[in-house]
Amino acid sequence: MPGSARPAVAALALSLTLLSGCAPMRVNSFLERGATLSGYRTYAWAPTDRLSTGDPRLDNNPFFQRRLQTGVETELLTRGFQKADAGASDVVVHYHASVSQQVSVNGADQDDLRCETPPCSPDVYEKGSIVLDLVDRRTNKLVWRGWATTTFDNIIDNQRLFEQTIDEAVRKILDRLPPRGV
Amino acid sequence: MNVSSHVESGVNFAAYRTFDWGPADSLPTGDPRLDKDPFFKDQMQGAVEKGLAARGIAIATSGQPDLLIHYHAAVTERIDVIGADRRYGYCQTDDCRGQVVAHEAGTLMLDVVDRQTNRVIWRGWAQERLEPLLDNRDTLAAHITEAVTRMLERFPAGVAR
Repeated sequence: MPGSARPAVAALALSLTLLSGCAPMRVNSFLERGATLSGYRTYAWAPTDRLSTGDPRLDNNPFFQRRLQTGVETELLTRGFQKADAGASDVVVHYHASVSQQVSVNGADQDDLRCETPPCSPDVYEKGSIVLDLVDRRTNKLVWRGWATTTFDNIIDNQRLFEQTIDEAVRKILDRLPPRGV
Repeated sequence: MNVSSHVESGVNFAAYRTFDWGPADSLPTGDPRLDKDPFFKDQMQGAVEKGLAARGIAIATSGQPDLLIHYHAAVTERIDVIGADRRYGYCQTDDCRGQVVAHEAGTLMLDVVDRQTNRVIWRGWAQERLEPLLDNRDTLAAHITEAVTRMLERFPAGVAR
């Protein structure tokens, strides 16, 4: 290790790490209390929501919608769910994406001359989230919700990276789907 | 100016020869200064017609066009950090501490639809800070032209990836 490496170089390396999309994706889910997925065999898509995602590039973006839907359909099929016509399925699948800016107040303690992780200054980054809902079509009640969140800077502008991020999110979210049993 | 695009893979863009304007956008831009501004519309449509002509796609004068084009402007509030660039060896504020500021980002978007399949096959966008542009028509015109030109430079000439 060269002891003379300047902090600026380390900081640049850190920023490159963030840019290359290595930030971890956080994934979570919940199953409605008392609910089980064992009786469900078929799914259909809910109408695409028209809510704003918070980013004009993603609003009504058919490339995003097709990629996500294809990914979800593939993952659901491997988990034994068959696609059915709207109005005839056991569950209805709904998704929502959102992008928001986050402010990290790293370095806010500079008054006390403390700074443990350079660069010691406020930082702004984008957070992207995808939420997937499974709703019982007959009762219209949410039975399962899964979501993934990741840093999202420079991702939408790079279509390949964007698609990889969607694929990863969909796979990781649906990995959390409880086994359906028989 | 940040410019990029999304494209549908496998589509042969070389087959398209004509376009027309899709139904007018009824979505508000998010900013009353741009809504229903005929100057904005003229600049935008002129720049797109010119940019597409350079790629061999002309506005349809008779019959059905190959493409329908739809554009949209959006204004979003963004936060930014200034003076936090010490990693690059300089700072903009006296004490070199970052400062969080808000600004308005304008996004111009072009959606291109294959009329026969009714699918969006390409979306381009350009984004930049809006404040310095709105109070001078010449500046606004120049930036619209640059935005559209740079977006359309990304429009595929043949089969997309």
